Amino acid sequence: MKDNDRVTALEVLDPAHEHPGYWSRFRARILENAAFELARRREAARESVAAILSGWSRSLIPVAAAAALIASIMILNETQQQADPAPRLVLEDMLGGTRNANPLQAGLAAGVQSNTAAFIAFVEEDAR
Amino acid sequence: MRQRSDAELVTQARCGDREAFGELVRRYQRAAYSVALSVTGKHQDAEDAAQESFMVALQRLDDCRNADRFAGWLLAIVRNRSRNLIRRESLRSGDEIPASASSSGPAPDRMADISALRGRLKEALSTLTEVQREIVLLHDLEGWKHDEISERIGIPSGTVRSHLHFARKALRARLAGWKDHT
Repeated sequence: MKDNDRVTALEVLDPAHEHPGYWSRFRARILENAAFELARRREAARESVAAILSGWSRSLIPVAAAAALIASIMILNETQQQADPAPRLVLEDMLGGTRNANPLQAGLAAGVQSNTAAFIAFVEEDAR
Repeated sequence: MRQRSDAELVTQARCGDREAFGELVRRYQRAAYSVALSVTGKHQDAEDAAQESFMVALQRLDDCRNADRFAGWLLAIVRNRSRNLIRRESLRSGDEIPASASSSGPAPDRMADISALRGRLKEALSTLTEVQREIVLLHDLEGWKHDEISERIGIPSGTVRSHLHFARKALRARLAGWKDHT
């Protein structure tokens, strides 16, 4: 037997050899049996989309609320600052108000430059 | 219309797309049957195993990690189901291809001829190893090329050719002279 003959011979093992509609019936039977599983999968796919959306909304709502709260606090602060433009007093300004801005220049002006000990005493006194 | 890839069909079938799953069945039903027949050697068992395998494949579709290799994954299921079927059940005695009640079937004398040839072929195929049967059926019955068989059943192409060569040689030897008797 040549190869071509053998290939033809093997065709008799194909169920469609005798029944031309065999494979479409085969497929239809599988799809009929698969109907429940396919429907279950469609349902699961729908549910998973809904779950993703609700998951997003669950995390999105608190974040949005927090952002809104922070924004409103910032706006209130801004409004208050615009209504009361008085300069702020800094603690250092209040403490250093009575001190010489430049003790070296003050010492020189006081004429203590000829005496080192007097000059140091002047500066220390000013610092206190 | 562009033919959808296996991966696309698998993705759609995972979401319950009937049409996509139907296309996968259409694409691989003959191959599944051929592999099942190579294991069971009987039409009815091969049909049952192939059908069950498609159902199992659908239920486990999420386990098919590489959807591009759906065919190989499906055929592995078919092979396992067919082996389990043999182990589980005592094989049915009536293994004939569905009775020829169809009016489109061949005439009775031709039927007897086909039936004799089928018996002879089954006997000849039973002398081959399982993998040789699978390869010769996928190649000669289903029409897959060497490379397709290699890729889908995970055997090197050279080995596929070698199996095919020895399978054909064995079949030729077993079927020699059959045509002259009929």
